[in-house]
Amino acid sequence: MKIQHSRIKDILFTIAVLCAFFVISLAITELFHTPALTTAVFTLAVFLVALLTQSYVYGILASLISVLAVNFAFTFPYFKFNFSIPENLVSAVIMLVITCMTSALTTKLKQQEKLKAETEKEKMRANLLRAISHDLRTPLTAIYGSSSAILENFESLTTEDLKQMAEGIREDSEWLIGMVENLLSVTRIDNQGVKLVKSPVVLEELIDSVLVRFSKRFPSQEVDVEMPEEFISIPMDAVLITQVIVNMLENAVRHAKGMTMLKLRVFTEGEKVVFEIIDNGCGIAKERLGGIFTGYLENRDVPADHQKHNMGIGLSVCASIIKAHDGEICAENRTEGGCCFRFSLNMEEDGNEQ
Amino acid sequence: MNSNRYKILIIEDETNIRNFVKTILHANGYQVLEAGSSREGMMMYLSHTPDCLILDLGLPDGDGIDFITQVRKQAGVPILVLSARTNESDKVEALDAGANDYVTKPFGTAELLARVRAALRIYQHGSMQNLETDGKFRVNDLVIDFESRQVMLGENEIHLTQTEYNIAALLARHAGKVMTYSEIIREVWRWSDAGSVKKLQVNMANIRKKMGVKPGDNRYISNELGVGYRMNTDG
Repeated sequence: MKIQHSRIKDILFTIAVLCAFFVISLAITELFHTPALTTAVFTLAVFLVALLTQSYVYGILASLISVLAVNFAFTFPYFKFNFSIPENLVSAVIMLVITCMTSALTTKLKQQEKLKAETEKEKMRANLLRAISHDLRTPLTAIYGSSSAILENFESLTTEDLKQMAEGIREDSEWLIGMVENLLSVTRIDNQGVKLVKSPVVLEELIDSVLVRFSKRFPSQEVDVEMPEEFISIPMDAVLITQVIVNMLENAVRHAKGMTMLKLRVFTEGEKVVFEIIDNGCGIAKERLGGIFTGYLENRDVPADHQKHNMGIGLSVCASIIKAHDGEICAENRTEGGCCFRFSLNMEEDGNEQ
Repeated sequence: MNSNRYKILIIEDETNIRNFVKTILHANGYQVLEAGSSREGMMMYLSHTPDCLILDLGLPDGDGIDFITQVRKQAGVPILVLSARTNESDKVEALDAGANDYVTKPFGTAELLARVRAALRIYQHGSMQNLETDGKFRVNDLVIDFESRQVMLGENEIHLTQTEYNIAALLARHAGKVMTYSEIIREVWRWSDAGSVKKLQVNMANIRKKMGVKPGDNRYISNELGVGYRMNTDG
């Protein structure tokens, strides 16, 4: 159905372009009293058709029709087909070759672009896998080592040693849990063709869940909350959006050195709800700001400091979640110091509930 | 009553998880029984009549939901479900089948113990715990008087509408248990339509406002996104 629709569109487009350029050629011939320019004009027409239609067939068709049109209208005898004059014949063949080649070239160009996009995606995927496997090794080594040490030297270890190692194991496991949550989120949106399951979520309940979850991990970190009083419902995948806000808050706790204030601000702007996570810490270095949502997949030469990379993936995950929700996301340094992560979601339209 | 005597049955096929759950429950003075499959679990349940079940939903030999339904046919023993994070609908299904509560993997010891305590309290006092002899429900400074349909916060009465009161009272009667959206709607409105969940959410927002709680403060009622609400029991 869809294929047929685009075919009709392509045919109409081809006809329209050829007619338009036929008229232009007529005008030019009339204006300059010479048909010398027509070949060039028709070559341009074929080029456009080949570039903007889905199949090379249209390009070749257009080139055949152009040859006929030039022969018919713009070569002696005018408005009559005549292939017996060798001059006309040669000009027709040359034009056919030129237009066919243009058509073939543009088709090839399109294929290459598609291929390039695919390789790019493949490369991203491979990078992600490599980065993750690399990052998982560090905490796993620590967990494996600590637990083996406990098992093998149980008698000789002091309670203090045991406690310290158990703490290490817990800390690294927590990090792994965070990583796995993020990966799960990615797989939840990365399935091609699978649309997000959005359900209406009450803003207040969302923020409540975020704060409860956040304070479980960082009980001593206060979060200032500023949000509208009224009842706001936003269609979203609640698990994923919770993940985004928690990632951003966690990011601030880990990286905003010297932070004394962490603020979660929510406000409406037309049909959008805007979320801001604001801190007054050290801000983000200029050279990192540009690629902050994609940086995890680039710059892999940095030595394995896994804490940093985790948040790298955290922010990449945030960006892809918001993108999947058709929202916008950005990060910037504030003039007062510290930085601000901002994203927006579309609000529920009236009469479109559930 | 002595909590040392409580018998808890863990049905979980992962030996490592079973072991650590057993260890923390032991350390906290509970008696622990274990089963690695749903068949073994059913046998243990029938022969030992435990006070609480901890059930993994992903058992190799049979559906956890069936297990819950089967137990619920005859007994009100509290069932705590261990679930993987990925799907809210699994949790809702388990709760609707009669499970009391769920803990999402990976979970910490403190969380698990708190849920076990709450579940056992339900068993000990019947469905109305936190209920003093005077027919009132209490958690922190919130008091719900079922007879006079009055809700007090400390010294002050808060005025709820009929519907709001019905919701609050329903949650209080099942305190400690997560009530799913559809359960609450069925009990409060008796029928449901496309807008029911929103109606419930709006009422809950009003209740929260009247109780004066801010997001992140779940002193009285905790909300489980996409699943339902729970009246708390712990102070």
